[in-house]
Amino acid sequence: MAQVIRIGPYDPTLFEPMAFEVTVKDRKIVKVDIDLGYAHRSIEKLMTTKTFHQDVFLAERVCGICSAAHSTCYCQAVESALDCYVPDRARYIRSVFFELERLESHYLALALLAHILHEEGHFRRILSERELLMDLFELATGNRVHYGVNTIGGVRIDLTPESIQKFRGVTARLRRLSDHILEAFSEKGEFTTKIRGKGVLPREKALALGVVGPTLRGSGVKSDTRKEDPYAAYGELEFEVPVGSDGDVYDRQLVRARETIESLNMIEEALDSLPDGPIQGEVGFPSEKEAVGRVEAPRGELVYFVKANGTDVPERVKIRTPSYMNNYSFTEMLLDQELADFQLIVESADPCFSCTDRLTIINQENEKREIVSLSSLRREK
Amino acid sequence: MKNREICIYRADASSCNGCDIEIVAALSPRYRLHELGVRVVDKPEEAGVLLVTGGGNIKIGGDLRKVYEKLQPPRIVVAVGSCAISWEAFAGGYSIAGPADETMPVNLYLCGCPPRPPAIINALANTLGVKINEREDFWRPSPNFRGKHSLDLEACTACSACEQACPTRAIEITGKDGRQTVKYLLGKCSYCQTCERACPFDAVRLTEEYRLAFRDKEAAVVVADVELTKCIECGSFFVAPRQIEDAIDRIGGKAKEYAEYRENMRNAMKLCLNCRRKIVNVRGAKRLLAQLAAKTLESP
Repeated sequence: MAQVIRIGPYDPTLFEPMAFEVTVKDRKIVKVDIDLGYAHRSIEKLMTTKTFHQDVFLAERVCGICSAAHSTCYCQAVESALDCYVPDRARYIRSVFFELERLESHYLALALLAHILHEEGHFRRILSERELLMDLFELATGNRVHYGVNTIGGVRIDLTPESIQKFRGVTARLRRLSDHILEAFSEKGEFTTKIRGKGVLPREKALALGVVGPTLRGSGVKSDTRKEDPYAAYGELEFEVPVGSDGDVYDRQLVRARETIESLNMIEEALDSLPDGPIQGEVGFPSEKEAVGRVEAPRGELVYFVKANGTDVPERVKIRTPSYMNNYSFTEMLLDQELADFQLIVESADPCFSCTDRLTIINQENEKREIVSLSSLRREK
Repeated sequence: MKNREICIYRADASSCNGCDIEIVAALSPRYRLHELGVRVVDKPEEAGVLLVTGGGNIKIGGDLRKVYEKLQPPRIVVAVGSCAISWEAFAGGYSIAGPADETMPVNLYLCGCPPRPPAIINALANTLGVKINEREDFWRPSPNFRGKHSLDLEACTACSACEQACPTRAIEITGKDGRQTVKYLLGKCSYCQTCERACPFDAVRLTEEYRLAFRDKEAAVVVADVELTKCIECGSFFVAPRQIEDAIDRIGGKAKEYAEYRENMRNAMKLCLNCRRKIVNVRGAKRLLAQLAAKTLESP
């Protein structure tokens, strides 16, 4: 007998408000429906009511975990729309903060994995060492979460020799933490046995669903915007793109753990070769132009589209967030899995609902929910 | 359940997750929120204290209200972060309901974007009447922390440069009886430092003060009162005296040949916008300036 279970929006297994309708038959999941919209904040519309400069801070607040990613991506799109030149030092500082944020985000995802697996020792250690990163953010920028580093044409905050010294001390300590985490992923590690073979997303399915970031790389596809379309200082930094093979929870989380090591390498390299010079370039006058910015956020490729119409307010801003692409892979990953593994599998894609929520229209007659595009809304009018 | 144990439930009402991670950080071994006798529970039925982050959108409003009704009396609600207080940068969006105090009564407003974990612990300790000792170094914020605003009452001219630059419209400037009141709404501020960078007189600075918990939403403000000068022609109040001096200094600095006409320029600038509009031609302007010069000579 099939049974429909509704999980959310407030549920102990979910860290953010989102609802799932899971159909269960003989304790196995046979169908998954996702109900979005609990964190929809009409950001794209709000962006067209504020000036280009004010929107940097709105973009930052799309998500509290990827605030550097969102503001960098928005600034890149605006910079190419306004033909701005970004100085070298600013590009390097952007990369440093970008990688620090990736570390912070991945450590949080790994801490949550440890929490779900009831490995409280790992959970506590990762969370308390992650505080070192937060201290670093506060020391360098003045805020722990929304750094406000980026501005159109460069960065607002310069790195001083003292803060660089602190950065190096922290990266040395975090290297030990990353090694410790990787041990838990080794053949006989605490994580390995519990998560191997669960929530498989095969390579073909991953490509068909269009997932991005560690979720895609876990399925064995070597794809990374930092390599394919280098931005900030990534063209000059050396790094590898770790990939998994089977596409299960283990592979996705291992990719994250290995990426932390790459990020630490990149931060140290960027600090070593930090060029001198100004941190802010000249900002041009807005013209009628459209532009796109792409970055590799901690959860995958993030895209901003900005249309300028010659005024100081953008005419249209479109955000394509990585979790938006990844969330639909749950419908594939969760099939044929035990309901008890629901939380483990959902968290393995490291979903972020605050940036994902889109407008949902509910058809009153048959209560069918559908997510609609802006163009189809226009046609209905 | 242990005696005197306080149970907390965290409800994410369409927030950006910033405040949520800071609540998680407050629970980390470093800040030891649990030492207050506080436990975070998974079910609202078990909790007496609700931490709400974000103000709630149209879709979540009903579910949020249900969570509140499930709480155990006396139902203490703490609105964590500026979004829960006023929706901050998202105010005015089409999907925005709330803020939180429209859905349920709020006992404490904790300003910040997001508030630091020590601020969250402090606020909780204050509402629950528990003592804490802030012993460790990391309770102190870094020297360039962006916290509560300090306004230099001497320097501020209420020129509204900050009001226009502010991305969240957290600054209100209102005029009455020859005084201009500058109001910084702490519950609406995103603490982005744009005002500090925009201020031409270095009058506003973001200080290290991070404990911004208020029982009354209206009390969460920083206010400056600026006295205005009178128009010497019609006598209406229009601009702060410091702004006139600053403009004259700038003209003198940029164009040396005008430096000796300081007094004349000052007189011309003490005309309000309406009186200036009355001038129709150069001869009229000269006559008016002569009148003004005579007027200032008469008055002491």
